[in-house]
Amino acid sequence: MMNDSQFVEVENLYFSRGDKEIFRGVDMHIPRGKITAIMGPSGSGKTTLLKLIGGQLYPDTGRVQIDGLDVHRLKRRELFRLRRRMGMLFQSGALFSDLSVFENVAFPMRVHTDLPEAMIRDVVLMKLEAVGLRGARNLMPAELSGGMLRRVALARAIALDPELILYDEPFVGQDPISMGVLVELIKKVNQALGLTAVIVSHDIKETMSIADYVYVLSDGKVMAHGTPANLNVDRDARVSQFMHGEPDGPVPFHYPAPDYYSDILNEGARP
Amino acid sequence: MIKQRIASLGKSTLDTFESLGRATIFLCQASIGIPGKEGFHLWLRQMHFIGVMSLAIVLVSGLFIGMVLGLQGYTILVDFGAEDALGQMVSLSLLRELAPVVAALLFAGRAGSALTAEIGLMKATEQLSSMEMIGVDPLRRVVAPRLWAGFVSLPLLTIGFSVVGIWGGYLVGVDWLGVNEGSYWSNMQASVSFIDDVGNGLLKALVFALVVTWIAVFQGYDLVPTSEGISRATTRTVVYSSLAVLGLDFVLTTLMFGEL
Amino acid sequence: MKRSKTMELGVGLFVLAGILGLVFLGLSVSGLNNGLSSTSFTLKADFADIGGLKKGSRVTMAGVPIGKVKSVELDQEWFDARVTMELNGELEGRLSEDTTAAILTSGLLGEQYIGLTVGGAPDTLEDGDVIHDTQQALVLEELIQQFVSNMASK
Repeated sequence: MMNDSQFVEVENLYFSRGDKEIFRGVDMHIPRGKITAIMGPSGSGKTTLLKLIGGQLYPDTGRVQIDGLDVHRLKRRELFRLRRRMGMLFQSGALFSDLSVFENVAFPMRVHTDLPEAMIRDVVLMKLEAVGLRGARNLMPAELSGGMLRRVALARAIALDPELILYDEPFVGQDPISMGVLVELIKKVNQALGLTAVIVSHDIKETMSIADYVYVLSDGKVMAHGTPANLNVDRDARVSQFMHGEPDGPVPFHYPAPDYYSDILNEGARP
Repeated sequence: MIKQRIASLGKSTLDTFESLGRATIFLCQASIGIPGKEGFHLWLRQMHFIGVMSLAIVLVSGLFIGMVLGLQGYTILVDFGAEDALGQMVSLSLLRELAPVVAALLFAGRAGSALTAEIGLMKATEQLSSMEMIGVDPLRRVVAPRLWAGFVSLPLLTIGFSVVGIWGGYLVGVDWLGVNEGSYWSNMQASVSFIDDVGNGLLKALVFALVVTWIAVFQGYDLVPTSEGISRATTRTVVYSSLAVLGLDFVLTTLMFGEL
Repeated sequence: MKRSKTMELGVGLFVLAGILGLVFLGLSVSGLNNGLSSTSFTLKADFADIGGLKKGSRVTMAGVPIGKVKSVELDQEWFDARVTMELNGELEGRLSEDTTAAILTSGLLGEQYIGLTVGGAPDTLEDGDVIHDTQQALVLEELIQQFVSNMASK
């Protein structure tokens, strides 16, 4: 791999929450200008990984570099400066509930630039047009559906034309139509702006259709990585279980528990 | 068994100190807001929600407490033939104790719990996270204006409480029970010192304002972002700030009026 | 924008009301200007015993407040109390030289204050003059003691 083409580098990352180890040595290279997907079953810490990349959480050991900057060694002020070059799309959209759609998209520009009002208006309308919600600019977030919220959040995330954009479960809980819309949008945004994208998801079909490179997380480690085409034909049992959505396999259906029969028969000794 | 108890005592002690430390760092980071016109507008907005919206409950309570003081004070003082000292009694009780304490308790219930719930909900819906990712420090943009609005509002509310309460005492004592109007005011004026009574009362209000707002915003910022977490944190805000106000009141009273 | 204007107005009124309240607490409740007009003048008076009189106590004439006690200190030479009073400036040069000062008590347990009574002398008191004809505070314990010893000697 050519090192100068890496935008984000995750090296030997360990992270635990309480007694639970979430990451046990994760290494990742996220290439510049490509869409990289991070996949894995629910609870494998995908969102946590995004928060580590964004500098909202601190790892136990290991480091994350973005464009050569060690995220967790930066001073608070430098970290906030770095974040201006990133956009993040939260699972819930996370729009500011006291601001209208227009003001939400205008927010990053208002706080980070001195653009005149007329120009802010033009840029906001442009971004809203890109996600197809120019007509909804005067609505409040509470009046929008889940899919629309996410589209507005996408418009806000790209308002400052970031170099890196992080998508947290963009397809979860969407109806097929808005799912299709979002897939198209993410692809379009990436092509138009040439930015680096990281998508965290467990919706295999949609993610595979737009990702250039895929990492699969399991048990706190990178289980497999490769291009979508390579992974689809991977012979590893765990990879193929995940890729083809089989209910039971190496990744067990059951939460770890004592033996079923002895557990049921052992009624008197219940805790 | 005993070993376990001791260990859990140690754990809760460490947890307490850890969260005190976090709260202190939090206060330092959140004390500097956004400068300039924008920061002023954010502060103004919070002054409206925190101060102006609490005005009604504080003033009505002040009026009733003043009236009750007038009534109770009269029945006690009239036995000694000292009902002329009613103004003094009403004003000193209000200025030194009741106005700062009761206004702070009401403020914790009305504004403090709302602050915790609001910030907590912003945290639960990832609004604070997304603000961080946009490159805006939520401590400066969300917390600082609220902290300062609370710090300014409560002393103003306390002044309002005193004024309305003294007027309530006048209403009951002079208008209804027939205490001499001149002696109500002149006894008051002779015994109330602006620095010692009004000033110390205001100092108490400033301390309470800082503590109550601090507890409220910290509980909101530090809570577990679930609906249960928000309800627990809201309760904690009211309980902790009420206890802190009453405890600190004793300490401050000892320092100010206890002649130690 | 309209909503923000009413909000600004509300906050402005709130702050203004707080400041006015503080002024009220200063003037009417703590009596910072205690019946004084803009000008004032001081008189002194020596008392053998001032009882519970203290700084800020009222000074009245015919029951009307005309000033307050500015300071109370012990005269190191005669060992009596030197009280400095701050009086309404309009009265300067109008109180006769033989004005008397008495320490009075409002009610049985009330505040102690100074009552001035004018005499008939043609000369008047000026700023900084001393009133010599004074009547000390009635101290309850002394009254009782006198009463008891009178009874005993009879």
